[in-house]
Amino acid sequence: MSEEKQNPSCPAGAGEPTAVRSSAPIWIIVVTLTLLFLGGIYFDHHSGWLNPRVYAPYDTADQLEASQPKSGAAAAMAHGKGVYETVCGICHGADGMGKPGVAPPLAGSDWVNTKGFYRLAHIPLCGVNGTIMVEGKQWSSAMAAMGAALSDDDLASVLTYIRGSWGNKGTAVGAEDIAKIRAAVGKAPAPNTGDQLMAMPE
Amino acid sequence: MKTSYGVFFAVLAALGASWAGFVLGPLIQLGAAQQTTVLNSTDVYPIQRPGLAAMGAQVYRSYGCAACHTRQVQQTGISFEVVLTSPGKDPVTVSNLLSTLKLTALTKEAADTAAKTLTDAGGKTETHLSATGADISRGWGSRHSVAADYLYDVPVELGTLRAGPDLANIGQRNPDANWQLVHLYAPKAVVKDSAMPSFKFLFQVRPVGAAPSPDALKLPAGFEAPAGMEVVPTAEGAELAAYLLSLHADAPLYEAPYTPATAKP
Amino acid sequence: MNPNATQPCGCSARDGKADASLQVPLLALFGGAALWLVAGLALGLIAGIKFHAPDFLGACPLLTYGRVVAAANNLVLYGFAIPAALGVMLWVLTRSSRMPLVLPLVPVAAANIWHLGVLVGVAGIFLGGSTGYPWLEFSRAAAVLQFTAFLLIAVSAAATLGWRREQELFPAHWFIYAALVWFAWTYSSANLFLNGVFPPRGVVQNIIDWWFTNNLLFVWLGLAGLGIGFYLLPRLGGRPLTCSGLTLFGFLGLIFFGTWCGIPIGAPVPAWLPVVSIVAALLTVPAIIALGLVSLRTALGAQAKCLGGPLCFTRFGLLMFFVSSLLYLLNFCPKVGPIVQFTWFGFGLTQLQLLGFFAMIVFGGIYEALPEVMGRPLPFAGLVRVHFFANMIGVLLFTVPLLIGGVAQGLKLLDATAPFADSTQTALKFLRISSLGQLFILVGAGLFALNLFVMTLQWKLALVKSLIAAAKAPLPDAEVKA
Repeated sequence: MSEEKQNPSCPAGAGEPTAVRSSAPIWIIVVTLTLLFLGGIYFDHHSGWLNPRVYAPYDTADQLEASQPKSGAAAAMAHGKGVYETVCGICHGADGMGKPGVAPPLAGSDWVNTKGFYRLAHIPLCGVNGTIMVEGKQWSSAMAAMGAALSDDDLASVLTYIRGSWGNKGTAVGAEDIAKIRAAVGKAPAPNTGDQLMAMPE
Repeated sequence: MKTSYGVFFAVLAALGASWAGFVLGPLIQLGAAQQTTVLNSTDVYPIQRPGLAAMGAQVYRSYGCAACHTRQVQQTGISFEVVLTSPGKDPVTVSNLLSTLKLTALTKEAADTAAKTLTDAGGKTETHLSATGADISRGWGSRHSVAADYLYDVPVELGTLRAGPDLANIGQRNPDANWQLVHLYAPKAVVKDSAMPSFKFLFQVRPVGAAPSPDALKLPAGFEAPAGMEVVPTAEGAELAAYLLSLHADAPLYEAPYTPATAKP
Repeated sequence: MNPNATQPCGCSARDGKADASLQVPLLALFGGAALWLVAGLALGLIAGIKFHAPDFLGACPLLTYGRVVAAANNLVLYGFAIPAALGVMLWVLTRSSRMPLVLPLVPVAAANIWHLGVLVGVAGIFLGGSTGYPWLEFSRAAAVLQFTAFLLIAVSAAATLGWRREQELFPAHWFIYAALVWFAWTYSSANLFLNGVFPPRGVVQNIIDWWFTNNLLFVWLGLAGLGIGFYLLPRLGGRPLTCSGLTLFGFLGLIFFGTWCGIPIGAPVPAWLPVVSIVAALLTVPAIIALGLVSLRTALGAQAKCLGGPLCFTRFGLLMFFVSSLLYLLNFCPKVGPIVQFTWFGFGLTQLQLLGFFAMIVFGGIYEALPEVMGRPLPFAGLVRVHFFANMIGVLLFTVPLLIGGVAQGLKLLDATAPFADSTQTALKFLRISSLGQLFILVGAGLFALNLFVMTLQWKLALVKSLIAAAKAPLPDAEVKA
């Protein structure tokens, strides 16, 4: 029993409560909409846009990707991928599947999946002329010495990338090895045919 | 203004939205998560806890250890460091640059600029990433905790109060099984002025048999068992200690990268 | 609804039927609630003492700190807060619909099933069967019992309120109706996933637990507490609830935005989850301000003095709603959250929500409802004022040091040069004052329980007497005065 009521059976004014009908002040709606806008900006800047790999303190997927510490091999692969896409991918395809009549596939190719890379390195360094047999098919479109203009580092990393992508299981290629092969073939080597390449050791 | 239908539909919309966003959403996004690989390695992470440690997790749950201990490391930022791995053809210029450039506690852009400066001078550099934050500085972990750290745990007890230190990496900080057991038996024996209660009921004080048991605790002075007695853990005590020893959360991952101290260039 | 002030007061609803239908359900709900409250607060006091003397009652494995604090928290929330609030809500609904409670046996059975569930749950915690999820430590069996009981009461309440298609609802009813649906959905969903057969992988468990805890301790306590408070305040104060539009804004803001808070900053989950909570917390602030304004304006014009009675409880409770809600939302501010996380601040805040806001409002409701429903005054009416002051002082002594101590502890935790033990030592000074506050609250709760139990006894004795009198009465049309 509340102490205000002396008579439990019908004090004045103690009926069921009522509410004053009036609408909410406009300022509170405006404030809420402003906060909604600001909140949206905050979400845009910090949430990683629902990416499940982005955790605080990283704000975006790009920042997370850029911050990744790369080991030597991973750095070479990343670098090699960049070189490949600029130089080789136009003809051999970004997926390494080649283009009919243009360039043979690199994925699963016996030329790539070799133990050594001496023979393979001659292909971009010197170019290919005549016919070459790849995966049981004859290819006769010539290849320029696309690797001649690349630095030792770049050529080594692109060969590492090719040998480690699309299911290929070749080892990495070092820049020093490329330098040696380049020194051996000389400044403007002639392109090799398929048979000439096959005559080389792996 | 509002009828009961109106209220019902408002509630349906409001709670339905948050249910979809915070229950269904995470279930879809994270509910089928699998093991991931450690950064720059082929090791899988995490590995399921071995049997004794898995049973220890249930002991941890049943005694409510999460009431005082958290199991998550917080990280507030990242910092980069540029390290010279080879001076290259012009060591004099490079060493001059080393003394003028700021090479630690950098942002990514500053680190890239410093690395490029050194590389242009002929040197070879490496950029190292490390996590920053109070927990990291205290040695409680090397990077913030992520979902992968708790993949196989049921229940995942992250904790809400730090009346005691964080335990995410306790197996790494205190890898000595005897230390863990002594700490549970008599916390004040190993931590001065510890607020932790002693869990003596996880141990048994019994007479020494023909030879002291290999499981017997090595207690420091002032806390030893009475003469002729030894303290051995019960099954629960051994399980809990095994669980604590299994707590590691330090492997660098894609979501929580950092350059480990023993990284080879 | 009663828009016309010259209509007779609500005592026309206080006829024998409406009261009789409520008597046993309310006594069943309130009686168990009072018992659990005293038990929960006593356990909370023991837990508090364990911080000054870690080995207090340490030999018994059943009484480790982790189990005692989990039991205490769950008893106060599930043992006292929810059933007591449900009882008061049933009373509010019968008053408003001017009907007796539909199917009164259903809430009676439900009350007993609920209290059995609490018993099973608490026993489970002491015996080591806690689930490990904060605020959801009761075992599966207990959860099933509680959910069943809740559904039964909710159905009875909904049937009483009726489907008022043409009639508008008074604002308090929006909150009460929403609360009934809210608990059913969140409780069943959380238990299905966390207490079910196939728990989700990894941190998804914690996300669901945080969602549930927020929706229970912030949104549901708000809905139920404000539902009762917005009914009591105008009724006891004699002034209508100001500005239904502002109340509507607050209600919608609370349910649409408040439900998304809960994921702590820095949690080991993808960044979008805490960011959504941060934004939602920001957007809930206007709603809390609106509800605070409604409470303030309605209370300021009150024609009655509270004199330590239910109006005092209601006003203090509504003030604590405003303060505790803003502090809760402050947890999600990126500058503040990292300081107070993992400290006593969060614990103190939850106790402020439970004991400072919710318990106060529920006490006000019980002290107002019980004499009216039972048709007799409280046995110790003077103790109501003592209870109010004991609870008010106790809550302030308990929670304010925890809040301040938590901030101090948090600052020390963020200072990596300070050894960890410093943060615990800093907090201990404040914890001593908190334990004193717990004692005050326990005493107040004891007085409340005393009032309740003596009234129950008196009622039972009167019932027995009337039954005997009816049996002895020679004439078949003898009247029975209950």
